[in-house]
Amino acid sequence: MAPPPESNKEVKRVPEVPERPWFERLNLLSTTLLIFLLLVIFSGFRIEGSDRDLNIWKNLGNFLRDFFPPDLSVVPQTLAALVETVEIALLATFFAILFSLIIGLCAAQTVAPNWLVVTTRMLLNLIRTIPSLIWAVIAVAAMGANAVAGVAALTLYSIGYLGKFFSEAFESVDLNVARSLRGIGADAVQGFQFGIWPHAKPIIWSHSIWMLEYNIRSASIIGYVGAGGLGLQLHAYQEFHHWDRFATVLICILIVVTLLDLLSERIRRRISRRN
Amino acid sequence: MPGSAPEVILRAENLGFKRGERWIFRKLNLELRAGQFLALVGPSGVGKSTLLSCLCGFRQPAEGSVRIQLPGETETAPEHLRRHLGIVFQDLQLTANADLLTNVLCGRLARFSWLRTLFGFPQHQRAEAYALLCELGVGRNPHKWISQMSGGEQQRVAIARALFQNPRLYFADEPVSSLDSYYAGRVLGLFRQETGQPKKAAICVLHNAEHIQRFADLALSLNPNDPAAYKIRQVRPAEPLT
Repeated sequence: MAPPPESNKEVKRVPEVPERPWFERLNLLSTTLLIFLLLVIFSGFRIEGSDRDLNIWKNLGNFLRDFFPPDLSVVPQTLAALVETVEIALLATFFAILFSLIIGLCAAQTVAPNWLVVTTRMLLNLIRTIPSLIWAVIAVAAMGANAVAGVAALTLYSIGYLGKFFSEAFESVDLNVARSLRGIGADAVQGFQFGIWPHAKPIIWSHSIWMLEYNIRSASIIGYVGAGGLGLQLHAYQEFHHWDRFATVLICILIVVTLLDLLSERIRRRISRRN
Repeated sequence: MPGSAPEVILRAENLGFKRGERWIFRKLNLELRAGQFLALVGPSGVGKSTLLSCLCGFRQPAEGSVRIQLPGETETAPEHLRRHLGIVFQDLQLTANADLLTNVLCGRLARFSWLRTLFGFPQHQRAEAYALLCELGVGRNPHKWISQMSGGEQQRVAIARALFQNPRLYFADEPVSSLDSYYAGRVLGLFRQETGQPKKAAICVLHNAEHIQRFADLALSLNPNDPAAYKIRQVRPAEPLT
């Protein structure tokens, strides 16, 4: 059938889209983005105008020349320090997991009373505000320059994060299963063990592996202030400008951290897939 | 005493539940005797699950009371007799990240102290739980997680948990909704068999008329138009105790 002639069609006027006033476009997102960009420009000029000699390309050239080839004669000492670094990280993560399980429960809104949640969260915030290197300085001052100070420093630092992550893991669990178990006679501990813990466990384990990975990186730095591990060696090579040896240590860290990264990612993926 | 009526083990008096301003049911009186299988029936949304949760003490009624009288115990509210109440929840309430066997074992948590169950259940309990899983056709993968099982399999695990608990009173909210006719018949047959044990009874929310006719002694139907107009009918004649 032929289409009806144009004249028979009802012609509808398409209304024009009203323009948004400029102040409506300034929502929170665009305002913060604008402020951020302004601060970036401002900071850029400040850095340029600081009168420091920033001959970046020359410095970079020298730097790379000093680094290569790496001095592989220090590999045995580096591996020994690397083992100590991993030991510090393992112990610190272990102790942090133990403490954080209790602290995480105290900071979980669905489990603990409000006063305890607020107090614990404030404490965790306080711990997190102090970087691991500062914790190491404090631990070395208190316990002397040794690897135990490194374990103590990283334990405290990790509790700040794991305590928060674990409390969030407990909060994310649906409490109905635990309530149902209580409903058929389980006590509070059993309700937690069989109703809450199985759900929180994969998340908690995943965060713990991430923390171990993070702690191995941190443990290789805290030696700078005397808390044992690779950092001590890095510090010495830097002091004496042995950049080729410094490079060997860095390569060792890179290999270990990359391997651990791959391994932990695989484990975490498998845990969450089963979940 | 042969021929005498079995004793009442659950008594609801003047029971009423209100959601907002609307009464779901009210002035409901019910007596459930040992050996009886009561079916709660009615269209969806009429309040069967709400009534069931009031009867097992999971919800507080707006008026009236539920009392349970078990042999050797004083008459009390259901929340004080938790370990004697086996519940199959409509949404199952299983631990999804635990294996089938552990979920069934959870039925007997009340029998052990937390210290005893902290490192697992006794071996003979595990064997018994596994036998129950096999009986319900889910014994092939006892160490698989609940989240890896189908809806029907999960429902059978929830039923196994309640049966494993070996309670005096069963409360089951649509326990066969995800099961095929074979397993539906088998599960309801098990509940029927359980009510044949001394001093036991069951209350089930059921939809299927054939199941009600085949397994229930009594059927309580709620009326969506009148909260006070519930009906209790005898599905099969009361059998005297022998």
